[in-house]
Amino acid sequence: MPAKHPDPVIASNESRTRNVPRWEEDFPIQMEGDHYVTRREFAKFLTLGSALLAAANAVIAFVGLRQSKQQFAPRLIPRASSMPQGGSTLFRYPTDQDPCILVRSANGDLLAYSQVCTHLSCAVVHQPDQNQLFCPCHRGSFSESEGRPIAGPPTRRLPRIKLEQRGDDVYAVGIEV
Amino acid sequence: METRHQAVTLFTALSLLIGIIVIIQLWLVAAALDALLSGQPSVLVPAAIASMFLLLINGGLLVLIIRLDNRLRRQPNQ
Repeated sequence: MPAKHPDPVIASNESRTRNVPRWEEDFPIQMEGDHYVTRREFAKFLTLGSALLAAANAVIAFVGLRQSKQQFAPRLIPRASSMPQGGSTLFRYPTDQDPCILVRSANGDLLAYSQVCTHLSCAVVHQPDQNQLFCPCHRGSFSESEGRPIAGPPTRRLPRIKLEQRGDDVYAVGIEV
Repeated sequence: METRHQAVTLFTALSLLIGIIVIIQLWLVAAALDALLSGQPSVLVPAAIASMFLLLINGGLLVLIIRLDNRLRRQPNQ
């Protein structure tokens, strides 16, 4: 049997001339060969991750397109028209699992938002004296007129509920994210 | 023809390139998710197309690695 070359790279190359099975090449003894296999496998692993990220992006795009086309049935908000200035009431829209808040501003406008804080999903409360919706969990505030974040950790505005007046009744008819 | 030592260097460079592309894709996913939650669906499709394009580049680099590997396995003693 010929002597093994002292240089691991050459020794590794020499091993290939002796009909070494493919699996054996993937479990080398020499450090150099091991680095080679590790980097090759790492590149394959990264490409798999790349495919998963591309799939995630496609799913997000699909969900976004579907959401933008979604239509919800109108829902009556009880006692909305009789609410005084600075008052607020809670309702559910579009499903019973989606809490919303209807407020009447100081100038008499009816405004409705999702009650779920965009930071960590606590319920916001109306503070008519400060014209804001306040999240007590992390002291986040949203403007009463637009639902935009004005203080605290939230960075996204509250989803606005579109309203429609039908006679004396007020209906929630859509969501504007 | 490359030696295995050269291949290690080449694989490192290609892995680095693939890694950078994966980080860009990760950023794209985070940006798309933020846009989805902020109600800006207009950026979602371009982000998905860009991510697919980056995946194609990564696929091309992987094919390059596999071809290089096969060539190296067939190569006689140096």
